[in-house]
Amino acid sequence: MNPRFLWGRKSRCFPQSLEVELSDFPTIALITEEEIDLNDLVAHVTLPSTGAAAIFAGMVRGITSRDNPHETVYLEYEAYKPMAEEKMKQVADEIRARWNTVEGIAIVQRIGRLYPRTPTVLIACTSPHRDTGVFDAARYGIDRLKEIVPVWKKEFGPNSEQWVEGDHLPEVLK
Amino acid sequence: MKNITVFFFATLRERAGMKFTHLEIPADATVANLKTILGQKFLSLNGLVESSLVAINQEYAFDESQIPVGAEIALFPPVSGG
Repeated sequence: MNPRFLWGRKSRCFPQSLEVELSDFPTIALITEEEIDLNDLVAHVTLPSTGAAAIFAGMVRGITSRDNPHETVYLEYEAYKPMAEEKMKQVADEIRARWNTVEGIAIVQRIGRLYPRTPTVLIACTSPHRDTGVFDAARYGIDRLKEIVPVWKKEFGPNSEQWVEGDHLPEVLK
Repeated sequence: MKNITVFFFATLRERAGMKFTHLEIPADATVANLKTILGQKFLSLNGLVESSLVAINQEYAFDESQIPVGAEIALFPPVSGG
């Protein structure tokens, strides 16, 4: 992992008496064309105090049965990279403001041409214990990414191509 | 007048036929004014700019937002990442 994409954040929830120098919690906010390395990313957000990691991965779905059933040959993703990575950091900040037990956060979106069964997005949140909201934190991360992070995908079917458009909800952008 | 750069993404990039353009706009132009200007300059964007999202210097902006000198503007459809 390129250290350029790691941002620290001061801990606010440890007691003063703790003897060790407390380091910043790791945050990864990344748009990449490379394959998403789940093990590497989780390792980067796992601290000595971590006991739980909630990981969400989104995949390219080749066969859709729900709503409008159809087949997908591949998806083509693009991003407004600098803004997207800033917005991912904003999502991480929002997660920490809601769940102050969350330690590390990784938010990664892969772009380019991606085929069915390929992971496209990863959200990983770590915390000392599983019952501290860490599942909700990861869920919030992917829901919020889909609202505010400037990434788009075009879907290519056997005989068609179409931009996938999100919902137009200006109030959620603020 | 002031100079700005406008980047297009996704549907807007395809319809405009370019990734970005340099523009001169009135000194007091807002995002709403810019949308009108773009709709006139790029006929292919007609009907699309109005419902587009706009970012000024990589932060979301709204119709009443003022555009600073030298701004980096981005125009794009509702996001669909994940």
